[in-house]
Amino acid sequence: MLLVLLVVVVLNFLMLHLAPGDIADTIAQTMGGADEQDMAELRKQYGLDQPFFIQLFNYVVRVALLDFGHSHFYNLPVFDLIMERFPATLLLVFSAQILSLFVGILLGVYAAQNPNGLSSLFVNMFSLFGYAAPVFWTGILLLIAFSLHIPIFPVSGMRDITIESGNFFVHFFDVLRHLFLPMITLASIFFAYYSRLCRASMLEVLGADFVRTAKAKGLSKKDVLLKHALKNSLSPVITFAGLSFSAVVSGAILVETVYSWPGLGTLAFNSIISRDTPVLLGILIFSTLMVTVGNLLTDLTLKALDPRIKI
Amino acid sequence: MLENEEIEEPTIKPVKEIFQTFFKSYSAVTGLIILIGIAVMGFIGPIFYPTDPFDMVWMPFSPPGADGFLLGTDYLGRDILSQIINGARVSIAIGFSAALVSCFIGVGIGSFAGFYGGWVEETLMRITEFFQVLPTLLFAMVIVALFGSSVLSITLAIGAVSWASVARITRSEFLRIKELDFVLASRSSGSNNMALIFKVILPNAAAPIIVQSALLVGAAITFEAGLAFLGLSDPNVISWGQVIGSNRVYILDATYTVTFPGVAIFITVLAISLVGDGLNDALNPKLRSR
Amino acid sequence: MNKHFLKTLLLTATLIFTSLGVCFAEPKKGGTLIAAVGNSPRHLNPAVQSGIVTGFPGAQLFATPIRYDNNWEPQPYLAESWEISDGGKTVRLNLVKDAVFHDGVPIKSSDVKFSLETIKKNHPFKTMFAPVVSVETPDEHTAILKLSSPHPALMLAMSSQLMAIIPEHVYGDGQDPKTHPQNSENVVGSGPFKLVEFKSGEHIILERFDDFFIDGRPYLDKMVLKIIKDPATRTIGLENGEIDFYAFENVARNIVRLKKNDNLTVTPDGYAAIGPIDWLAFNTKTGKTADVNVRRAIAYAIDRNFILKAIMLGVADEARTGIHPGSPFYEPNVEPYNLDIDKANKILDDAGYKKGSDGMRFGLTVDFGWPGLKPNAEYTKAALKKIGIDVTVRASADFPTWAKTVSNHNFDLTWDTVFNWGDPVIGVHRTYQTSNIKKGVIWSNTQQYSNPKVDAIMEKAGVENDMDKRKALYSELQKMLANDLPVYWTNTLPYHTIYSKKVGNPPMGIWATSSPMDMTYIKD
Repeated sequence: MLLVLLVVVVLNFLMLHLAPGDIADTIAQTMGGADEQDMAELRKQYGLDQPFFIQLFNYVVRVALLDFGHSHFYNLPVFDLIMERFPATLLLVFSAQILSLFVGILLGVYAAQNPNGLSSLFVNMFSLFGYAAPVFWTGILLLIAFSLHIPIFPVSGMRDITIESGNFFVHFFDVLRHLFLPMITLASIFFAYYSRLCRASMLEVLGADFVRTAKAKGLSKKDVLLKHALKNSLSPVITFAGLSFSAVVSGAILVETVYSWPGLGTLAFNSIISRDTPVLLGILIFSTLMVTVGNLLTDLTLKALDPRIKI
Repeated sequence: MLENEEIEEPTIKPVKEIFQTFFKSYSAVTGLIILIGIAVMGFIGPIFYPTDPFDMVWMPFSPPGADGFLLGTDYLGRDILSQIINGARVSIAIGFSAALVSCFIGVGIGSFAGFYGGWVEETLMRITEFFQVLPTLLFAMVIVALFGSSVLSITLAIGAVSWASVARITRSEFLRIKELDFVLASRSSGSNNMALIFKVILPNAAAPIIVQSALLVGAAITFEAGLAFLGLSDPNVISWGQVIGSNRVYILDATYTVTFPGVAIFITVLAISLVGDGLNDALNPKLRSR
Repeated sequence: MNKHFLKTLLLTATLIFTSLGVCFAEPKKGGTLIAAVGNSPRHLNPAVQSGIVTGFPGAQLFATPIRYDNNWEPQPYLAESWEISDGGKTVRLNLVKDAVFHDGVPIKSSDVKFSLETIKKNHPFKTMFAPVVSVETPDEHTAILKLSSPHPALMLAMSSQLMAIIPEHVYGDGQDPKTHPQNSENVVGSGPFKLVEFKSGEHIILERFDDFFIDGRPYLDKMVLKIIKDPATRTIGLENGEIDFYAFENVARNIVRLKKNDNLTVTPDGYAAIGPIDWLAFNTKTGKTADVNVRRAIAYAIDRNFILKAIMLGVADEARTGIHPGSPFYEPNVEPYNLDIDKANKILDDAGYKKGSDGMRFGLTVDFGWPGLKPNAEYTKAALKKIGIDVTVRASADFPTWAKTVSNHNFDLTWDTVFNWGDPVIGVHRTYQTSNIKKGVIWSNTQQYSNPKVDAIMEKAGVENDMDKRKALYSELQKMLANDLPVYWTNTLPYHTIYSKKVGNPPMGIWATSSPMDMTYIKD
């Protein structure tokens, strides 16, 4: 775990260091120009005038002391910046994951009942739609449809700041309204994965002995399907969900860009194009930790589903 | 299946049978036909539709159908139909070469990890884990920022970040197959490790790897479009992603400039995954009985 | 004929009445303005951070000594009056008496002195206050600027976002003002609005400052600046009424689209001092473009009208020189290099660049500074093919990559957008001065153009206090530059302000949103 983190840090530090240009150029851009003393001063201030290994060493030592440093661009502590954006990303990623799992499993179960029928084909096609269409493209089309032509959803951001009410539910529904389109867009990528995995493992389980026994015992079709088959076919789906976390985060970057969602994805994107190394590394370390936590949760869920699994 | 221990030998199905299974599936055949159609369009199409996709041939933003341009023109008055036709070649090429790169890295790492076990496996799977944990899009962006946004660096970047799934599958196949009788037999007959890995085990592990790689082709095509959307594309080459990326700002008014390449990507990726499904059914020995 | 005359008369009458109506309508107090901004600012202190992104919130949070009206005339702001004496070498500012900072501390002349010194030391535009030797503060409400030489650019440099008056008791606490924590949080300003919340990447919320030094202003209770990067998203927001106001729109297609919307007003007014110009810069030192004939041939082969009509869809203005057409110093009577392919080919033939068997003479690369200029670069490729120049478009992955390439002079051609920033001394000289050829510094003289005569004229024009004489000098400068052609100027960047019909008095001066919006209000 720590080793992985160290590799993440060193590799990305090196790559951003070698990429052309640095933060002083970016700051000159936002200024509309700068002179060489200013730029030299900026580089000195951020330690960019020192040899690469000293910069790297200083950074690693600071991170080891749990100090992520300051953003070169915003002049704010990286930790504060991440914490400011983290809830938005967490909300988006988790709600999309849950939605896609829910819909995916539902579709998968439905398709498994009649694996070669027309409905199965239809489900397959429907779920493939989100997989095959570029996610930003789906996002923009949804935005045009439901913010412009039928204006029921807001166009950007996570909340309406003009709401003065202190009522929790007013704010809750406001966030929900803002979340709806980004969530659907992000979830749509994964419908296909989950529904197909679920269908396949359902088919496998439905052919297994214990299901046949349950059927023979005279349990209703619904009971067999939900109590026995589904429970046993969930583990590959959930395993996959745990593994696909980094893909969800990648998708979130595009979705956040389309909907101006104030999350970590856009912050990470900007930190790359502005060479704000501490922010990028901070986000990478943070997301590595998040994925690890996500995997742990996956394992726990699997264990809950099937007590035989040892962690 | 456990009772059939005596048939644990090479699990490669006869080629004929694979073809039969594959062509029995309507959706797989449809996917294949579409895919071939798109490839033909990309490689031979320019001969029949010689308009240069970079030439400004007409007024900008001429809507589809008007003035003799079936799919309209873009912001510089370039023919979108020609861009779609020529873009097919590049997009498919990017998709396949990126998948090839992933396949190469993934199979290499996965097979060595699975075959040798021990600290080799430990180290290699750590590296794989690292690539699985990183948000791939971010990592690819850093690579493109470092090497510039040329078609080559974009392809390599996509390939370099998406091999983790291949490595995992290869490793688990190797772990399963290397204990089987025929492998043990050829090991005892004196084959060296390299021969065992590449000549004995790999062919038997090929099926799931091929299926996964086929899906990677589709993923690479959407990945390229995603990078282009974020502004990372090569303007000297027409790919579908590039067309979407550069027309992105006009999407509200000239929606078709983004819709057509989007639909092209959609259809291609759909076709690839249908073919992938077909391959899966045809190659997977477990499904033979069903 | 008669009918036409009547129509004109009617139109004039309507115009007069509506404009009178605007003048007489009593602005309503209260209300919230929802504005969009295209980028997240680094921080909110314009004294140490230039650029239009910081300029918008910066000009609301901080007041400047003077402000400009629509006709380039200076108006009192924090300085209720001023006197220039000693041939332009002494400038006396008389400050408003009862002005206070947002924390209630009175604004004194010592703050003006402190602000000017901070800006002189930290602001990237070093030419703004370079001749200011000292600031004397004989009393709390008088600041006297002593200059080493006359400096006509000073008045513009004291307006807009360029000379924000910042509190000495906050920013003079010994910390580096560039990285002061109160640049982003708990900002103590001097302007009409105070900061409520700044969340990078999400929004900036500003609130009316009740003790603002102009009575009854600002009219608005609140301003919310939503940070929305995607142009399509912003446009949808304007169309469905979620956003009331957006300045600096430059996507021609969106401007044309929004103009058709009855609920919105779309105007190009207000950007004369910002002065953004799109141009094609040449490497005048190395490669084929070191030859002025090649540069001229390229200029003749690139159709400015195509760029204006097809790429800019008619919403941008022609710019024949490096000074913005909205500036009083603009000289339109220079060689325009109108499209003439034959002439371009002849120039190249005469200069000895023969076409090869494939019809090509030689190859060049073209870069572009930001994604909005990609169409121009692609057009350049197509246009120069006609005169036998094989152009490769080089896309930079991001701004730092492009900046590194161009500032280290590793380019042939590059498209770029550069701002005038009010006075030519601030934003124009830098592109052509020999002394400003500085490797590694973007928006310096990256063309490496050097002409002693041009240097001499700029030096003279920079200190000339007489407006007419100064105009004549700049006119000569522009003619010389058009002849040497270190840069081929094509058009203004079509910045437009878009606002909903319910917004009254949007900022229409020369500085767009980099000016205080204390007079803006929301109609019923």
